[in-house]
Amino acid sequence: MSEHQEAMRFEDAIPQLADVDVPAELKDWIEQRMAMYPDRKSAIIPCLMAAQKLHGWLSPEAVDQVAAVMRLTPARLVSVATFYDMFELEPSGRRTIYMCTNISCMLRGADAVMQELERAVGVTNGGVSDDGIFLRSFECLGACDIAPMASVDGQFVGPLTVDDAKQLVADIRAGGEVLPAKQLSKRPVAVTLWEGGGKVGAYDVSDSASGAA
Amino acid sequence: MDDLLFHNIDEPGLATIDTYEARGGYSELRRVLSDLTPDEVLTELQASAIRGRGGAGFPMGTKASFLPKGDMDKYLCCNADESEPGTFKDRELMQKNPHQLIEGMIISCFAAGINKAFIYIRGEYEQQADILDAAVNEAYIKGYLGENILGSGVNVSLVVHRGAGAYICGEETALLDSLEGKRGNPRLKPPFPANAGLFQGPTLINNVETLSNVSHIMRMGGAKYADLGTEKSTGTKLVSVSGCVQKPGNYEIELGVPSREIIYGLAGGPPAGRQIKAWFPGGSSAPVLTADELDLPYDFDSMAGAGSMLGSGAIIVIDDSISIVDVALRTAKFYKHESCGKCTPCREGTSWTVKMLQRVEDGLATPMDLDIIESVCDQIMGNCLCVLGDAMAMPVSSMVKKFRPEFEAHIESARAARMPLDEATLTDELDLKEMAAH
Amino acid sequence: MPEEKDMSGKSNVGESVDAGEENVTSSDSAVAVQVPSLSYESPFTVVDALPPGYSKRPAGEPERNVISFTIDGADVRAPEGIMLVDAAKYGGVEIPVFCYEPKLGAPVGACRMCLVEIEGIPKLQTACSTPVRDGMAVSTRSPRVIEAQNSVVEFILANHPLDCPVCDKGGECPLQDISYGWGRGKSRFAEPKRHFEKPVALSPSIAIDRERCILCYRCVRFSQEVSEDYQLVLLDRGADSHVGTFDGNEYVAPFSGNIIDLCPVGALTSRAYRFRARPWDIEQGGSVCSMCPGQCNVDYTVRDDKVMRVQARENAAVDDGWLCDRGRFAYQAWESDARITQPMIRQGEKLMPARWDHALEVAAAALKKSGPRTAALAGGGTTNEEGWLLRRLMLEALGSPHFDSRRGGKLDADVARTLTEPAVTLSVPDVEWADAIVVIGSELVDEMPILDLRVRKAVNRNGAALAVATARPSSLDDKASVTARMAPGRDDAFIQALLAALAGNDVGDLASRAGADAENISQIAGLLKNAKRPAVLWGERMLYASTGTASAKAICNLVAMLGLAATDGAGHLQIPVQANGRGLREVGVLPNLGPALSDSATQGMSSDEIADALGDELSAILLLGTDPILDSPDGARWDAALRAAPNVIAFSSWLDPATERHATVVFPAEVGPEKEGTLTHPDGRIQRLRQTVDHAGEVNSGWWVLDQLAARIGVDFGVKVVHQVTAQIAEGVSIYAGISSNEIGGTGVRWQERTAASNLPAPARSTFDLEIPPAAPQAAPGSSSLRFGTFRSLWSGADVENAATLAPLVTASRLELSPADGQRLGVATGDSVTLTNAAEGKTTAVVALRDAVPTGSAFLLDSQDDGLRRIAAGRPELVEVTP
Ligand SMILES: Cc1cc2nc3c(=O)[nH]c(=O)nc-3n(C[C@H](O)[C@H](O)[C@H](O)COP(=O)(O)O)c2cc1C
Ligand code: SF4
Ligand code: FES
Repeated sequence: MSEHQEAMRFEDAIPQLADVDVPAELKDWIEQRMAMYPDRKSAIIPCLMAAQKLHGWLSPEAVDQVAAVMRLTPARLVSVATFYDMFELEPSGRRTIYMCTNISCMLRGADAVMQELERAVGVTNGGVSDDGIFLRSFECLGACDIAPMASVDGQFVGPLTVDDAKQLVADIRAGGEVLPAKQLSKRPVAVTLWEGGGKVGAYDVSDSASGAA
Repeated sequence: MDDLLFHNIDEPGLATIDTYEARGGYSELRRVLSDLTPDEVLTELQASAIRGRGGAGFPMGTKASFLPKGDMDKYLCCNADESEPGTFKDRELMQKNPHQLIEGMIISCFAAGINKAFIYIRGEYEQQADILDAAVNEAYIKGYLGENILGSGVNVSLVVHRGAGAYICGEETALLDSLEGKRGNPRLKPPFPANAGLFQGPTLINNVETLSNVSHIMRMGGAKYADLGTEKSTGTKLVSVSGCVQKPGNYEIELGVPSREIIYGLAGGPPAGRQIKAWFPGGSSAPVLTADELDLPYDFDSMAGAGSMLGSGAIIVIDDSISIVDVALRTAKFYKHESCGKCTPCREGTSWTVKMLQRVEDGLATPMDLDIIESVCDQIMGNCLCVLGDAMAMPVSSMVKKFRPEFEAHIESARAARMPLDEATLTDELDLKEMAAH
Repeated sequence: MPEEKDMSGKSNVGESVDAGEENVTSSDSAVAVQVPSLSYESPFTVVDALPPGYSKRPAGEPERNVISFTIDGADVRAPEGIMLVDAAKYGGVEIPVFCYEPKLGAPVGACRMCLVEIEGIPKLQTACSTPVRDGMAVSTRSPRVIEAQNSVVEFILANHPLDCPVCDKGGECPLQDISYGWGRGKSRFAEPKRHFEKPVALSPSIAIDRERCILCYRCVRFSQEVSEDYQLVLLDRGADSHVGTFDGNEYVAPFSGNIIDLCPVGALTSRAYRFRARPWDIEQGGSVCSMCPGQCNVDYTVRDDKVMRVQARENAAVDDGWLCDRGRFAYQAWESDARITQPMIRQGEKLMPARWDHALEVAAAALKKSGPRTAALAGGGTTNEEGWLLRRLMLEALGSPHFDSRRGGKLDADVARTLTEPAVTLSVPDVEWADAIVVIGSELVDEMPILDLRVRKAVNRNGAALAVATARPSSLDDKASVTARMAPGRDDAFIQALLAALAGNDVGDLASRAGADAENISQIAGLLKNAKRPAVLWGERMLYASTGTASAKAICNLVAMLGLAATDGAGHLQIPVQANGRGLREVGVLPNLGPALSDSATQGMSSDEIADALGDELSAILLLGTDPILDSPDGARWDAALRAAPNVIAFSSWLDPATERHATVVFPAEVGPEKEGTLTHPDGRIQRLRQTVDHAGEVNSGWWVLDQLAARIGVDFGVKVVHQVTAQIAEGVSIYAGISSNEIGGTGVRWQERTAASNLPAPARSTFDLEIPPAAPQAAPGSSSLRFGTFRSLWSGADVENAATLAPLVTASRLELSPADGQRLGVATGDSVTLTNAAEGKTTAVVALRDAVPTGSAFLLDSQDDGLRRIAAGRPELVEVTP
């Protein structure tokens, strides 16, 4: 039993704002978010995400901060956080690559792309490189039209070739945009999908369509 | 057939309210609020016979009519969790035409007397959520959302709520728990959400595509809409086609067209020189169909009749270059990973199945293991709290049943490849794996 | 309906079915349905279906119709709407369950062990969550159901380590029983199992073995939905799910130990009990915990005449089957070296062991000499029997009326009778079914912990509206629709303000005298006005403040104004300071009132007066299981008083300050399981303590010692066994007339529900004129003075300090301040500050800043520390706090 706990009464299960230093912008954000719901607890996931963005991961300190502002036990918060894939309860990187390895991407060569990403980042699945790139294989990200694909800090890119994987990591390291030609958001209209084009396995991906029948 | 949901979907700027209004957007909302009663709107929705596009295919108008009357807080939750592997239609709808969804939601709220609406969007769709946030903001500014909408006295608030990565949160009651700030565990039913849903209040839950249809139904009239598609599967459907096809993408079809037309006609069929071995007609939780079943009409009942389901309308095509064992293992792993863990058969059954399939893959199994896999799948089906367990059991057991010779052949060849290994080394190997897992 | 009843509940179903089938083939279907031997009339009537301890349904709880349904072919009658699992029991059918535990609230349907087939429903259904309806046809043994049961057992055991031989739960394990009863007996699971680190400490008291956990969620549901401490949670997802806490912290909460009882496998075990005994070499003895007014019913697990463990013994009318950690783990102190187990006599400065005869002689001689100049105080754990004999000893043998079971001044006769009226007294189940609950001046979790759970249940399950009115922030604030803060010790003004609000008068002035917000008071009044069955729970502690008499009168007026007497299920409940405070009052351990609050021929001194008179008018004092230095708000004064007393005769289990410093003779006192006698619960339920272990060392019963003292002084009480004392009470206490141990039984009986209740003397008046209360203390602006209040902790007392697993929870010093005051004074949590009062008392304390503490108030934890007692001496209203 730690020194700290010895002096604790059970009321102290919720950290007191008086004892926790919460960055002002986080506190404001949480308070605003809580006000958006009939029950403040609805804001738990968004607030944890905000804290994770601020701290890079959900450190015990980050959890304590959210707990103090939301007036909830940190245990409740980590119970929620550990349920969801996007929360990191271990120190994580500055940049995040989720490589989809689910079925549609697998069918189009995701495993090879993942292997190349591992090599290029220099870590295995779930690892963080020395320069702060966090790589993990992920379940279907809802973009099988550009399979095999990855999400780089929320930016969907695909279809990825093994060469793209190298480029993707290089782009991250260069600090610029990641595979601009393969960003889902950059495609103005569906019929001109994947202007950059390329081949993945047996598929000519340059004229895939998404749109009208 | 003209596109409804995808009408000019790639029109530049469509995600902004001005462009949407310029093409007539929100005029249905205006008309509904000024000319119709909630019951009249409900009647149209029921007449359209539109079935939910999220997976279960329950008639939307009927579900909306289940909500009790009265002026308690009522809720609409738009299910934008879209996590069923192979499904990506809602993403395109939200990204390109968010106001079509928002308008549909407001009309639905009016019909069911709902005052608080949420869009529960999966956390991975960050950009789509940003687009929705902006669109919702625009709608508030224009007075389509908030208090006393367009002077009608109707109040609707709308919050875009982002998840954080959990497939199970697409299950409607897990979605409610998640939206209440909990772990996304499904709830026991009854009570049904229509009576006691979000914050224990009456709640309507519908998929993005379902709700995006609403303004079109109101514009066309329910009966006209029901003329589209088949008698029991009315309207159009967005189909996400992926996997071993030339042109993966979303396609809007009229329900009831032959499946072959979608896979070959629209999506270009498998790469040259390959044959279709199997296909999931409705996301990876649907039992697989074979090449022999390509001529089935693509609608709810025909898919059910063939022992599978239309599900979320996601066709995943597997060609003959792919090992069915890989597909089964990959599928099982996904559902095991996504099992919330609340109920025993799903939590234990999915992880047991993965372990067995992994042995099959690694050549450490015997054909008897295939029997056990089937039996375990049988024990999962129908015995769980929600259908996530079934979502693994159904496709996996369909693969084992339909492709048993391929499984057996794989066991044989993988075993041979490992030779010579005696039982003792096999056990060692198991232990090593186990250690590696911890 | 059935013509033959099988009252045993053990009809041979197999035979009956055969008979039934014959019948079916040989007669028309209409007749065939009425197969006599197939039908099973439940041995329970619906009244019998009331939970243990209930004598009647609480006024607020809806009644249920009786319906009939069939289970495995047998006709069964059961209350409508109860879950099939429970309804099946009316037919003698057991449906296996793991996750189902109705005490935890709504079923979760997670384990799937209880799947049954219901005619007309295609899928198997969970019997734990399906309410029974008339005409239902249920099967629990059809091939489909058996297959499902086998499968669930196989799934549950897949990752279970099957380490029964080294598991503490072995022999009393539902998992073993269900695997045997409903499992296939073999497993096809050939894969590696899930691994976790084997038993690790979840807290000082509890060990967790996650490999054995079957994820039934009972423990986490308890933490989250019953005790609502929300510290024990599920982490990760799916097959990786496991039970844990934040950042590996220990699970410290007032009720944490209940998860041990709840766990259906050996995943959660008591660290104090681990490997001490096996189910086949223990005995269970039912009794009542006397450590606080909650008086929870307990089972003592005894091996070799020692208590090895304490478990909850469900009495729905008292504890709902829960137990706080003090009640559960403090037993470890009974075996500790600190306990006094032989008589002692002071020789010079030192207490020296003595023979019983000698100690009795010395004590009797001292008492005889002191005679009418003797005083006595009874402590909270004193039984009614001990109280009764103490009273007789004082009056008959010594001729002294100076005895008290309360601290503070005298209780006004009319006030006492008004507040004791059966019609206005709530039962515990009434609290559960009240529609509005107001808690005034009590922190339940520290003062009567088990009631805290009942209030939460009322709010969570029955939708009661809760208001909390206290000086110090309460752990119930979060559940409350209104919380009101007041200045410490200003309960009288607060209640008067509430009365004004209820009467529609101006609240402003009274509210400010209470140091409270007028708006909050109006809200509480509104809540009470709208209620059909209001419940007022108030802390007796407020009566010990300088304004105590006024508060008591104000409560009487509140009772009258709310018309509590007129409504069944409405009422008030006093939270006594002492465990048996109510019983001692009612058997007549009061200076000014006789048994059953009758008028007394003699008028003695109250404890306050005794403290002043000791060493002066009074020359000896008997301390029956109490140390007033610790137990009264004015400890320092008592320290001086006892020093002045020539003779202090202490019945004590511990060398508490009074015993150690001042006792001249010490009699070793019994602890819980050694005691036999009765207690009276705050709601009037008379309960029975049963001796389950022999006395430790040379300990003797308290009642026996009192009898021996009287005998030596020359009075024969005529008692040889404790039941004779109970019989004397049954004769001498009119409201308990005729009560017997038999009638009290295992779950107790409320005297208000017996005819003798009408013997309570009627008060001459039950409303009182109230004076305008004094203004709330005001600190000079900018000064370092703060309003001063104290609070007690569940984790305090010799039993807690001497129990190995509880001792770490004792907090030595804690001064709670608002963050604003902390900032103003330049102190943070963990800093030491100096406290001074007007009487020049001075001490240091450790600061805990709490967001909810109202600015301007400071709250000090009651503690054993002399310095802290000095600061509280004279009950100062303001203290100086300096860094
Ligand atoms: C495991 C599971 C996952 C689901 N995922 C989704 C989903 O991602 N999106 C969705 O709309 N419906 C999903 N559903 C279906 C929903 O439970 C629900 O039926 C649907 O949202 C209702 O909307 P609809 O009637 O418009 O289809 C899922 C169901 C299950 C059992
Ligand atoms: S530890 Fe025990 S009570 Fe808790 S979930 Fe596991 S089996 Fe259930
Ligand atoms: S007891 Fe019914 S599901 Fe667990």
